[in-house]
Amino acid sequence: MLPKIDTSTDPQVGYRPLGALDAQSALQPFAGSFGTRHAAHLLRRAGFGGSSAEIARFASGSMNDAVAALLHPAAPDVPLTEFPDPTALFDPKRSRATAQLWWLDRMLRTNRPLVEKMALFWHGHFATSLQKVPVQDMIGQIDLFRAQGLGRFPALLAAVTRDPAMLIWLDNRANAKAHPNENYAREVMELFALGLGNYSETDVKEAARAFTGWTIDRNGAAAFVPARHDDGPKTILGHNGDFGADDVVDIIVSQPVHQRFIAHKLLEFFVYSDPEPELIEQTAQVYALSGFDIAKTVGAILRSNVFYSTRAYRALPKSPIELAIGTLRFLGVSTIPANLPYQLARMGQEPLNPPSVKGWDGGPMWINTSTLLARFNFVNGLVAQTAPGKNGVAAVSAPNADPDDLVRRVGMDPSRVAAALVSGIVQDDVTSAVRATLIAYLENTTPSATMQSPLPFGPENYQEKIRGAVALTLNLPVNQLA
Amino acid sequence: MKRRSFVTSALSVAFLGGNARVALAQVAGAAPLLPGFAAGAGADNVLVVVQMAGGNDGLNTIVPYSDDAYHRVRPAIGIPSAAVLKLNDRIGFNPALKGLKELYAQGKLAIVQGVGYPNPNRSHFEATQIWETAAPDHPQQYGWLGRYLDRRYPAGAKPPSLFEAVSLGDTLPAALVASHVEVPAIGALGAFAYNAGRDLAEKQSAGILYDGAKAGQSPYLSMIASTARDAYHGGDVLRAETAVFTNKAVYPKDGFSAQLALAARMIGSTAGSKIVFVSIGSFDTHAGQRAQQDRLLGYLGDGLLAFYADLAAHGLDQKVMTMTFSEFGRRVTQNASNGTDHGTAMPLFVVGGGVKGGIYGDHPSLTDLDAGDLKYAIDFRSIYATVIEKWLGRDPAPVLGGAYPSIAFV
Repeated sequence: MLPKIDTSTDPQVGYRPLGALDAQSALQPFAGSFGTRHAAHLLRRAGFGGSSAEIARFASGSMNDAVAALLHPAAPDVPLTEFPDPTALFDPKRSRATAQLWWLDRMLRTNRPLVEKMALFWHGHFATSLQKVPVQDMIGQIDLFRAQGLGRFPALLAAVTRDPAMLIWLDNRANAKAHPNENYAREVMELFALGLGNYSETDVKEAARAFTGWTIDRNGAAAFVPARHDDGPKTILGHNGDFGADDVVDIIVSQPVHQRFIAHKLLEFFVYSDPEPELIEQTAQVYALSGFDIAKTVGAILRSNVFYSTRAYRALPKSPIELAIGTLRFLGVSTIPANLPYQLARMGQEPLNPPSVKGWDGGPMWINTSTLLARFNFVNGLVAQTAPGKNGVAAVSAPNADPDDLVRRVGMDPSRVAAALVSGIVQDDVTSAVRATLIAYLENTTPSATMQSPLPFGPENYQEKIRGAVALTLNLPVNQLA
Repeated sequence: MKRRSFVTSALSVAFLGGNARVALAQVAGAAPLLPGFAAGAGADNVLVVVQMAGGNDGLNTIVPYSDDAYHRVRPAIGIPSAAVLKLNDRIGFNPALKGLKELYAQGKLAIVQGVGYPNPNRSHFEATQIWETAAPDHPQQYGWLGRYLDRRYPAGAKPPSLFEAVSLGDTLPAALVASHVEVPAIGALGAFAYNAGRDLAEKQSAGILYDGAKAGQSPYLSMIASTARDAYHGGDVLRAETAVFTNKAVYPKDGFSAQLALAARMIGSTAGSKIVFVSIGSFDTHAGQRAQQDRLLGYLGDGLLAFYADLAAHGLDQKVMTMTFSEFGRRVTQNASNGTDHGTAMPLFVVGGGVKGGIYGDHPSLTDLDAGDLKYAIDFRSIYATVIEKWLGRDPAPVLGGAYPSIAFV
């Protein structure tokens, strides 16, 4: 038996924001004035960012209205059939790439961003991959996350236990009384609900016995086969009984360590890295008191003082999917570029293909030289495609970043163009030096630039210059932060 | 745990060149070299890892041509004895491996036979995870080379070069996932660059923005800003560094050899790469195996022969060790499509001037099988342990989570 490998080097350590937590008021509802930057922050964290118009619409109402609209969207989702190309490209059952495009398109065009964001959260949490699971089962699992991702965790975990994709992914379809398979039981404890060190090897073995019998029938559907189930007495985390799959779920969620585990993961996803133990404890209490209700717990987080604190503001790196979808939403692009899954792989987050059962490590692991260049070059390539081609039509339509529209609004004025861009893209979260660099770029007075005959900003070059400034602003370090 | 910046300004090319490298190599806190390496011999050895993706069929790679059982189980896809490039009176190379036969004749090739691990996994994804994280029992967050790098350069210490460890592909393999050591994935030199449009001022403005980026309340902002500086300047640094190295061998024209030619430039130039990951595939030969596998083995052998000729011409062949791996071997018996399905143990190759050429381990029996599959005799972690201890000069136990007997190929 191989000794346990030390993986105690926690990549999150060191990325807690500077300053101290106000533990007294952290989870109290935010009562400050709710403005553009608050709305943009909320849309980045609880969705995939927004255009200037969407941000303005959220900012025009109250914080409570904004959070309620995200948690309980009134309008039905964009119908599944309403796609730009319903034939080959978006048939999710046809291939892995179309399945990825299908989900990315949901993220781009949904009017329920938090529902889709929670699906992405659970996809990283219950990290299942196309590498082993058929495409239609992966789609089924994402639909499950979309339907139940804001419901109660015990119901979600019970549904995941009998989800065909999960039955295949972690081999519970092969788990039977005669030949137990511990793979799913182990990951339920280690990765899905408790965390390493909070259970024993015996707990894993006994829980595996309780999960026996759930398998896949000949039609690929989940099925419980009583003859394969071990119905004998079991001892799991100190509880005794003839437990089945759903009993394990109930036992696990009753553990305080589980409540902290889920609280910690939600805080890391929505608020900031390495949250303080007091904040985890308070959030765990909200979660337990809500009856393990994800919507209520996430709602409490999204309304809280700590969520709108300067310590949480721009305190998380955007994941590649957040960066890509946020960029498309800002620009007003309505179709997912066909090579986006490949570009996301280079950025380190190919949807439906997490690197392991642990999902994506996230946090600082999103950022290295290769993945940053992939982000920058995704933006540069996309913005370049918004330029009119030979026939005067752009390959990609980006109505929200149309140079003519911008010049109509603010005039042929480099300072006002730069101001509009840093306001729309990064809500003015830049230094005066950044503004000066963008203005110099627009004016063609960049120091040390090597140009043959620099033209001043004007009718001959404003379109190219504005597109360049859009790319530069999108590629600012601060825009890598959610 | 915070990564430190490699490139602090546009003057980085000068900064990273010459004596600065030597000084940086002596940073405090690095895991110590084992005795015998401390004097300098072998202290800057290089490891190239070749992934043969898809599961390479071992029986048609190192062929047990004198075993009647081999010809019985492979009536259509077996390699006739006369065609085998014989190593001895029992085994020989696939005829496409004439490059490896030449390296063997030069004493630079070790063949390690019967490599595997207990309870072998037949899923491409899971078996690849097992090999790349050296963890058959449970998935690991970091790869075996990533864990080596993290211990070689503990938090706070940084490698002398941004390109100390690189993957010559578009994405990072699990083997190179490290907790804090930066490992770039470089599909091509041109892709590792900030590629703006034809307006040069745009790219230059990006550099000004990254060089001038300020820290904020979140530690992520300074980390992203410094990584952006590395990324922005790193491509120019890499191109400047590799430009001074000229490949002195004629490589075959396939993509694998293109990776090896770039590997030679990264190892032999001031880019100073010490761990390089390259990949060749797909060896997943469920149907029509002979044509596909032979073509790929030809790329492998001919590419490595050119690579070592190139390295030798630069006086580097003694400093560079190359090892292959594949996620599994294939079934002993051919299938109905003149291919083979996912199996277990296989041979792998270790190449280099510092390698004691020869054959290590016995060819697995074709009659004493485990449910129709070859039994392994050498745990793959023994090969990793040998490489880490005898070639890279570090203690392998903390990296591999246990002690494994080393093999005499170094």
